[in-house]
Amino acid sequence: MLFKDQVDFVRQHIKKNKLRVFMTILAATMGCAFLIVLASIGFGIQDTMRKEILQDQAITQVEVFPSENEELNLKEIKAVPFIGAIVQRTSMDTMTSFHFEDRMMSGDLRLTDMKEEEQSNLKLSEGRLPKNESEIIVGYHFAKNLWTDAERIKVEEGVEEADLPKGYEKSIIGKEVSLSLQPYESDGAFPERWDFTVVGVMENPAKDWIVDSSILMDESWLPKLTAAYEANGEQVPEIYTNTKIYTSSLEHVKSVTKDLKDMGYNVFSVSEQLEQIDVFFMAFKIGLIFVGTIAILISSIGIFNTMTMAVTERTREIGVMKAIGASPKLIERLFLMESAWIGIIGTLLAIVISYAVSFLANWLLPLVVGAALGEDEFSDLSITFSLIPWQLVLLASAMSIGVAMISGWRPARKATKIDVIQALRQEL
Amino acid sequence: MSSETGGKKMIKVKQVNHTFLIGKKGKEKKVPVLKGLSFEVEKGEIVAIIGKSGSGKSTLLHTIAGFMSPEQGSITVNGQETANLNETERAAFRLNNFGFIFQNFQLMPGLTAFENVELPLKLKGISAKQRKASVKQMMDKVGLTEVGDHYPNELSGGQQQRVSIARALITNPPILFADEPTGSLDSETEQDILLLIQNLNQTLGVTFVMITHDEEVASIAHRTFKMRDGELVKGDLQ
Repeated sequence: MLFKDQVDFVRQHIKKNKLRVFMTILAATMGCAFLIVLASIGFGIQDTMRKEILQDQAITQVEVFPSENEELNLKEIKAVPFIGAIVQRTSMDTMTSFHFEDRMMSGDLRLTDMKEEEQSNLKLSEGRLPKNESEIIVGYHFAKNLWTDAERIKVEEGVEEADLPKGYEKSIIGKEVSLSLQPYESDGAFPERWDFTVVGVMENPAKDWIVDSSILMDESWLPKLTAAYEANGEQVPEIYTNTKIYTSSLEHVKSVTKDLKDMGYNVFSVSEQLEQIDVFFMAFKIGLIFVGTIAILISSIGIFNTMTMAVTERTREIGVMKAIGASPKLIERLFLMESAWIGIIGTLLAIVISYAVSFLANWLLPLVVGAALGEDEFSDLSITFSLIPWQLVLLASAMSIGVAMISGWRPARKATKIDVIQALRQEL
Repeated sequence: MSSETGGKKMIKVKQVNHTFLIGKKGKEKKVPVLKGLSFEVEKGEIVAIIGKSGSGKSTLLHTIAGFMSPEQGSITVNGQETANLNETERAAFRLNNFGFIFQNFQLMPGLTAFENVELPLKLKGISAKQRKASVKQMMDKVGLTEVGDHYPNELSGGQQQRVSIARALITNPPILFADEPTGSLDSETEQDILLLIQNLNQTLGVTFVMITHDEEVASIAHRTFKMRDGELVKGDLQ
């Protein structure tokens, strides 16, 4: 029998029992959709948590700290394969003030190697990286915190957060600012002033509550700044160095983390955190899929019943078909095709419904939760409650169609075993 | 007889015995239904097997047609020993060699007359275009041109039996089995169907094996075998 004729044959039989087949498809759809939607919650929450971690820091960043009383061996670290940049930011334990026109602010001064910063793909919200020693880049909130004396006094007297001064509201790019140093225990700043041109502003930190008023300047300034302490008869302050390593790409974070750990350093990278989360969510998702599978198995009982009924009802027809020359394999195939058809249509409907439910959940739940908590801001948060990756669709489809075919297999076998003589004796 | 027919032995039945087990499980009784039957049917013959209910004629037909295997003996049809074939081989053998006409027509209720006739061709994997031409020709031959798109329940008994005959002949089988072909028909329609069978036998040269309890139906046969209690009654061979 040609495949097209087999399909026609199955279609004709399905048409004859529309309601029963529809109800069976509905059961298969519900089972499969339940599995997809349930597992999608696991995928959704995992995705949200991953995004949360990844937005906190550069994905390729690996923080490395030496063990106590030891130092980082940069030469050794540089030899590790797939290292893109080693960024060492140095800060001094002192008060640093920046002056611009009649405004002033105290910020965190960091000295760094600009070439390494460039290689680490340091992102700027505007401007560019410094090209010479007299150029600096500043944190996103630098200009906002440049206050006049009057504004500072007002803030010190106490103001609501909403009434905080706006600082310098124009673009700070291209503006000249001057730096002064003052030891904590001293009453006044050193007389030396150093002028710099702001050429770039760093990106807004991902976390809303972080205020970035830092200043990045070339590390060649360190001896000049420390020299000022000696010139003013003060002790050189403590100097701290924070080292961050950037791998050449995300897939190498894991191997670089391992290599550095093997060298005896304390290492922390995003891959470590992601790995822990992935292990937890893998177990969580397996649990959800297991529960969803039970729904599919329940729906398979419906398919088994429908197919058994179909075989019983068509006993005489099967007998006639066998009598005129239909092989048992063909009979079996026709019934398997019917149960597979129920599984396929049920699965297709389930996929469409699951995507619709997932879309609705992601759109509606933040609104509902926000309204329930009375926080308007909550509705703006991008939380993924449900995510349906293609792998989940593939897994659920394979399970749903597979279970449908297994359910139809026994009735199909029963059909092949129908005795022609008994079948032909059946009343019309 | 040989002068009227082809002379080639189409069916050879040799010492066929069969027993049914009747009764509750564990307490079954053995009832012999076929007792050492032997006969031959030549190509192009119409052979009638007559006998009362329970004489074993239906069991004989089912055995020859391969619906069941005899306990003992051999059956050779169109040169093929059928007892050795497995289920799938038997199905293929039936499709290529046999046509069946049943007492209650056994048409598919969900298919039109045209589709019922078409069914064996579908099983053979013949393309839709070829099927259409063959079925149309066959429908014309059995006088069903006008009712091709009717469902079985929209046809008269005679028309249903014609559909059944057309379905049996559509694959051009060399042998056609008819189990009480006029059992469900009135006498006028019965005559029509018998004439049609005779006509098809003469024009197409198909071998007919008919089972009937009706002497009048058996009268169109070239030879008649009479069965009683699972045996061919001697002296009844024409």
